[in-house]
Amino acid sequence: MRRSHFVSLVLVVAFAAASLVGVLSAGWRPVLGVQLQGGVEVVLRPADEISDEQFERAIEIIRNRVDAIGVAEPDITRQGTQVVIQLPGVKDKQRAVDLIGQTAELRFRPVINMFDPYDPVQLAAVKEAMDPNQEDGSDNESSVETTEPQLPEISLSEVLTPPQQDEASATVVLLGSGGQAGFILAPAPLTGEVIAEAAATFQGQWIVNVSFNDEGAVLFDQMAAANYERQVAIVLDGVVESAPTINATEFNGRAVVSGSFDEAEAKNLALVLRFGALPVEFERDDVRTVSATLGEGTLRAGVIAGLVGLALVGLYMLLYYRLLGLVAICSLATSGAILWSIIAWLGESRGLALTLAGATGIIVSIGVQVDSNIVYYERIKEEVRRGRAVRSAADGSFRAAYSTIIWADLASLIGAGVLYQLTSGTVRGFALYLGITTLIDLAVSFFFMRPLVILVARRLVGEHPSRLGVSKKVQEVPS
Amino acid sequence: MSFSLRALYRGEHSWDFIGVSRRVLAGSALVVLICVAAIFVRGLNLGIEFEGGGVWEIPAVSEVTTDDLRDAASDAGMSDARVQRISGGEDFFRVRGELAINSSAESVVSELAQVARVDAEMISTRTVSPSFGDEVAGKARRALIVFLILIAVYLTLRFEWKMALGALVAVAHDIAFTVGIYAIFQFEISPATVVAFLTIMGYSLYDTIVVFDRVKDNERSLSAKSRMTYADLANVSLNQVIMRSVNTSITSVLPVLSLLVVGSLALGATSLQEFAIALLVGLIVGSYSSLFVAMPVVAQLKRRESHWVEQERSAGVLGQSNAIEDAAAVLAADRYDRSSPPRPRKKGRKR
Repeated sequence: MRRSHFVSLVLVVAFAAASLVGVLSAGWRPVLGVQLQGGVEVVLRPADEISDEQFERAIEIIRNRVDAIGVAEPDITRQGTQVVIQLPGVKDKQRAVDLIGQTAELRFRPVINMFDPYDPVQLAAVKEAMDPNQEDGSDNESSVETTEPQLPEISLSEVLTPPQQDEASATVVLLGSGGQAGFILAPAPLTGEVIAEAAATFQGQWIVNVSFNDEGAVLFDQMAAANYERQVAIVLDGVVESAPTINATEFNGRAVVSGSFDEAEAKNLALVLRFGALPVEFERDDVRTVSATLGEGTLRAGVIAGLVGLALVGLYMLLYYRLLGLVAICSLATSGAILWSIIAWLGESRGLALTLAGATGIIVSIGVQVDSNIVYYERIKEEVRRGRAVRSAADGSFRAAYSTIIWADLASLIGAGVLYQLTSGTVRGFALYLGITTLIDLAVSFFFMRPLVILVARRLVGEHPSRLGVSKKVQEVPS
Repeated sequence: MSFSLRALYRGEHSWDFIGVSRRVLAGSALVVLICVAAIFVRGLNLGIEFEGGGVWEIPAVSEVTTDDLRDAASDAGMSDARVQRISGGEDFFRVRGELAINSSAESVVSELAQVARVDAEMISTRTVSPSFGDEVAGKARRALIVFLILIAVYLTLRFEWKMALGALVAVAHDIAFTVGIYAIFQFEISPATVVAFLTIMGYSLYDTIVVFDRVKDNERSLSAKSRMTYADLANVSLNQVIMRSVNTSITSVLPVLSLLVVGSLALGATSLQEFAIALLVGLIVGSYSSLFVAMPVVAQLKRRESHWVEQERSAGVLGQSNAIEDAAAVLAADRYDRSSPPRPRKKGRKR
């Protein structure tokens, strides 16, 4: 009996310490939410009813855009009919908001030329071709002379068209979807709005059938006539998804895109064509930008308030329960170590940020955690007053106390589960951390608090109930 | 009945909770009535999350007045902007208003930044579409209904339906009271406040379950021959758990109080304040209601059961002076009866 308590105690402490040390040495830190470090939070909702498939595709597009901005820990989740995008710590906030909200537009651009984005000589040639100052005056001879010495200075980003200048009416330089090929592209004569339907089918090989609306059929034929036997790029969000060669001039509103597609590639292209064609328009339900100073202020206030609160609780427990108060403080510390590890792990592996609401859930849970101690201690004190010896009271009261703790915690878990499933945003973040801390409470109460209390009762309290905060006047000790 | 703290600490107190319960319940009902009336008369001060619109927070670093900022906001296309200066810890201006249809949030930011002579990056913004609030409120309402149904089922299975009813009455009491406070003082309601209301519900239920658990436990340990009314049983149980309730309330309130005092007054983080006020009120009311609302309601329901009516009649015939203390002794005796072989020396009297 005694040994098993000791083992349980050692195991819990070892587990808590190991996870904390592991997390710290791996350099994992909790990811802080937008309200705690500044950044951008956007909630988007599709303006019209859209299918799940369209929704997933739209989220994929948003994710690509966010990656392009270069945010360290973006969190993009679908919550019911909304997309919640959190970009903690993002620098240029306004640009981020603009970029995310944009409607995806599919464009068809005739290909002027292709180049290898890793070849400096070709990059130099592209830069020169695109430079408006040299377009008129330069002849072949002088260009050869000037490009050679400039070689090392030209990087890919200098050549590519920045997203702000990627207008339908401009000549642009863009990359293919894998970044393996560069394209110089002419202005777009038509956009994805003219596509009526696109589907991938298998006819000896994978192909994509595209049909256009009436206006599109005319425009597409015009473009085909002008670019016969040349490539036309299908561009979505500044990325060339495919660049098929036009091999006819009359399409009558139907086109077939063929190539060496595998099934996944063909289906993806059909999706791009279809949803580029039916741009999913998003309404901005909620846009929040938090300046870094405000975020830091809130974080500092929260941390200080939390620490002061903890100190007060610890002091009160010590005054009221004496030695048992010390046990309560140890339980809190153990739970704290485990909680920190879980938050850091969630941030690292899921990109899940600790929000202000989540932090509040944790502060509230201090009360619940301490309550588990109080329920148990009050039972012990009651038994001791009734005349039981401290050691047997500590052993005997746990069952009844833990049953109370389980039933009460179960109600909290039901609440956390319902809120997590049925709400979004702030409330959901709160529910998550409430649930996590309640589970930790159940585990720590059983595997840590109980054995420690029993050990303390045996070793340190013995025949001195006053060390538990029970008044000396014990009425009657049963034989 | 003595109200000495010393007795409380030593566990020698025996308060008659149920005896005064009719008056306490009537008082609580009156307060709830006032709160509900306040909600209807004064209405709730809903934040932009529920009404739509925008909020801009500008650090006060230069010599600029609220009037300057109001003019700037109206230049950017906001007709009814409200500007507040919020000091204490960090000093900043808060501009709130509806955005005109043809103006953009960006133009407001740049206009305000120019007037306040700060970098646009320093301004925190929040814009919400009007339909968003309906959705948030709708979701919260649905979650609330599902939660209450599940809790009712859970408590009925774990205890009995009368206790489920008592717990829900207590929860309704707590929410009405807290929301009433928000209506009376016109504090702003945001999603953060909603989170706080939900916490209060969870906390109140948690507290009530602890009380009910003890009553059930005591009821089970009563032997068939014991004479005890339900009111006595409830009183003994409440006296047993009151110190737990008091201590838990204190330890739960301390962090929240520190959030309120340190967080918002000293450091000026207003977003923390939103949570803290509702939580503080709710935590205190929640502990009160599990002792003085939930259990009395259950006691009123239970004493009508035939078994307890009979107990009450026989107790009435005998007549007694120290009902609660006697009942505690009976309970203690019955508990020893169950847990160990009969002892020659029993505590308490048996009648």
